[in-house]
Amino acid sequence: MSHKGTSTFIMQRASAVILIPIAIWFLWSLMAHAGEDLAGAEAWLKKPLNFGLFGTFVTIGALHGRIGVSEVIDDYIHGGMRGLFSALNWVVAIAVIAVTWWSLLSL
Amino acid sequence: MTTGADHAAKVGPAGTTHGERQAMPLSPHLQVWKFTVTMAASITQRATGIANVSGTVLLAAWAFSVARGPESFGPFAKFLTSPLGMIILFGYVWSLCFHMLGGLRYLYTDTGRGLVPATASRVAWFVYIASFVLAGLIALGATAARGA
Repeated sequence: MSHKGTSTFIMQRASAVILIPIAIWFLWSLMAHAGEDLAGAEAWLKKPLNFGLFGTFVTIGALHGRIGVSEVIDDYIHGGMRGLFSALNWVVAIAVIAVTWWSLLSL
Repeated sequence: MTTGADHAAKVGPAGTTHGERQAMPLSPHLQVWKFTVTMAASITQRATGIANVSGTVLLAAWAFSVARGPESFGPFAKFLTSPLGMIILFGYVWSLCFHMLGGLRYLYTDTGRGLVPATASRVAWFVYIASFVLAGLIALGATAARGA
């Protein structure tokens, strides 16, 4: 946490800028494909562009979200609990990224 | 007796004193505040950010269910297309729209522009309205795509 303010600030903005076009792609895809069955979902995820963008959206999104949640933790959680919440925050981000890539790679 | 000079000498470079760290500055006071749309947009930015984290958990679970096959995907898809699932999906779509538009607002104000209160309020109102319009259009588009 300490001595990382500037790099965290830059990472939050850089990830935000990367996420904007990918989020637009994601919302567009959701609009076009929501409600498709398993075969449709699998075929969609197996297309290289969707595979790459979906994985990137979840990965950068989870890392960007971890930074945001860490700001909330720093504002409202004090004392020993802060370390626990910060660790949980990392666990959630890493688990989301790991499960997503495991799933994508096992298609 | 401690003189001002003694005290100044004890203060380290980054506002730290010898042997003790200065407390981090905290969020504004929780009881003393006045409603402004920029304040509401700031709180909503945080709330939607947290909702979007839940959204990534949902996406990971969805990808996992696709990888696991029909036994996992069936119940998951059934839940997502239930009334509660649709509300969650629409909420996630709106949350993404708001956070993205609000994020653009912050990227703009980070450059030191748009900070005049009247301008900042107009932009914050625009973010609220545009987020609902965008989410509504996506929901309509999805309904049209499903019907087609």
